[in-house]
Amino acid sequence: MNTNSNIYTVIYTTVIVVVVAALLAFVSQSLKGKQDANEKAETISQMLTAAQYGTKAELDKLGNTAKLEKYAQEIEKALVIDMQGNVVRELEGIEVYGPKELKRQNYNIKGGTNQTGEAELPVFIFRNGNTVVPVYGAGLWGPIWGYLAFETGTATISGAYFDHESETAGLGSRIKDDPAFQQQFIGEQADFSSANVFEIVKGGAPVGEDGKSLKDNKIDAISGATMTSQGLDAAIDTWLGAYAKYFTKSEE
Amino acid sequence: MEYISLFVKSIFVDNMIFAYFLGMCSYLAVSKNVKTANGLGLAVIFVLLFTLPINWALNTYVLQPGALKWLSPKFAEVDLSFLSFIIFIAVIAAFVQLVEMIVEKYLPSLYSSLGIFLPLIAVNCAILGGSLFMQQRDFTGLGESVVYALGSGIGWYLAIVCLAAIREKLSYSNVPAPLKGIGITFITVGLMGMAFMIFMGIQL
Amino acid sequence: MNAKLKETILNPIFKGNPITVLVLGICSSLAVTVTLKGALVMALSVIVVTGISSLILSLLRNTIPGRVRIIVQLVVVAMMVILVDQILKSFEATYAIDKQLSVYIGLIITNCIVMGRIEAFALGNKPIPSLLDGLANGVGYGMILLIVAFFRELLGSGTLFGLRVLPAGYIPNNLVILPPFALILLGCIIWVQRACDKDLQEK
Repeated sequence: MNTNSNIYTVIYTTVIVVVVAALLAFVSQSLKGKQDANEKAETISQMLTAAQYGTKAELDKLGNTAKLEKYAQEIEKALVIDMQGNVVRELEGIEVYGPKELKRQNYNIKGGTNQTGEAELPVFIFRNGNTVVPVYGAGLWGPIWGYLAFETGTATISGAYFDHESETAGLGSRIKDDPAFQQQFIGEQADFSSANVFEIVKGGAPVGEDGKSLKDNKIDAISGATMTSQGLDAAIDTWLGAYAKYFTKSEE
Repeated sequence: MEYISLFVKSIFVDNMIFAYFLGMCSYLAVSKNVKTANGLGLAVIFVLLFTLPINWALNTYVLQPGALKWLSPKFAEVDLSFLSFIIFIAVIAAFVQLVEMIVEKYLPSLYSSLGIFLPLIAVNCAILGGSLFMQQRDFTGLGESVVYALGSGIGWYLAIVCLAAIREKLSYSNVPAPLKGIGITFITVGLMGMAFMIFMGIQL
Repeated sequence: MNAKLKETILNPIFKGNPITVLVLGICSSLAVTVTLKGALVMALSVIVVTGISSLILSLLRNTIPGRVRIIVQLVVVAMMVILVDQILKSFEATYAIDKQLSVYIGLIITNCIVMGRIEAFALGNKPIPSLLDGLANGVGYGMILLIVAFFRELLGSGTLFGLRVLPAGYIPNNLVILPPFALILLGCIIWVQRACDKDLQEK
């Protein structure tokens, strides 16, 4: 058989492309339900971590069902607000915002060609007095996102958890893997009146007389991961900026 | 003005080789002398310049969540981004193969000097990296993606020609026998990488 | 086992090591060697991917039209990697593993080792030797990865596999975790290897 003839080449390529596309589409469609369930449980355990219901490792020991139950038990109120800080609707049952939904909302916040509608910003108020809001942005290699918990009704951060798709292991990935980095956020104050709501400072945040970081809106960046730190800083500024009106209202 | 700063930034601050260390394999393998380095560098610029805008268009009008809105409002919820990897790679591979065939047929002299590098480029991570960075940074227009492609291509070109020049000089130096060739090249690239870090903090 | 098969397996691990001799797969070896754990995950995935994709493309080798072989190779490799990712993502038990792995998906697809071995070996050999060649190259690659990661994690963070090894007073060396140092370390590994094996030295 002449494998170099034009007709053979065209047919062969077509067959390969069709087979591969069909296979991928089939697998992706048939497994979508299960994947979504896993992702949802993961998102919930990330939010619960930020809201101080235990460490990520502890929460991951629970199965998917147990995570969903815990969320249903602990959530007091889940709202969707717009960028003016008005409540648009309440979230019913277990509806959370994982990275895919956050990506869509990220376009809406930033505007431009990719905008799919008015920004829908979720707010999760937990029974232990923590309000969790998401952040989303670009790191060095891919998207980064996470959940910040505030003491309900204030601008005081009470917890944080971040995740990423493909940051460098051991450097940028420390936003997720290093509990010490996430604990830096606890007690810091977000400054909703400025465009720099929160800052991740390269070369060290200002410290008080006791040598500990001041409870301002600045924390230390991760050394060796400048781009990821900058990306996280921008993500937090963009998202908390979008929530600013809601937070200023609820403080009053 | 924005374009100029993006252009300069993608050459120096976000240099594909020294800031992201992408496209290292062909970078190290084809930098023995300036002439071949020149050929590969130009080929990389050329391929980046075409595949990046193509992938930008595909990403904006087909792949992104909500990108199919222009077809019909019904598709506003469709998200094909899980296909982006395979589509970007297919575009790059198809383009490289296409260029190879056209150049071979119509410009045989160019083919003989460039030809062997073209297949290498399909697996050059700098090319795919460029497309992925484009997707991630949400470039708002075709112009931005063309400028970025040109800038990062030139950055890559500059890096490989520099290394080739150093290696040509090095071949006359008295390097310990086990380090000769690729060993000393690794160390040279490491040192060049450190030097390029001075650009890291520049804000444009 | 006959001598030729043995050669196929042993060669990529020492004399024909993909990183230090063939200079393939450098990008990923710089990116994933900051921690031993990352290096291990990457090494295992590359072993599996090079092995299986070599096998598949060796089975297809007589049918692939020469002019589009690069596309066919890339599509098959990318499909496999994405399939594995999708399947792992679907089960509760493997979801956590996939979260570790998904970071490296892009790096595996564009890893020149996979394509390099397909071009150089699988397209001209029978399926079984191709499978072995793929696996062995993965092992050779993983070995170098682990050596580099050992030094970078030890000196850069003072830990091994995340456990503290050096005393708390050790100040981590930040230069070590930056990519240029990995290049210099690779240069040194090549130095040692070629000092031991004079055949590999370049004139």
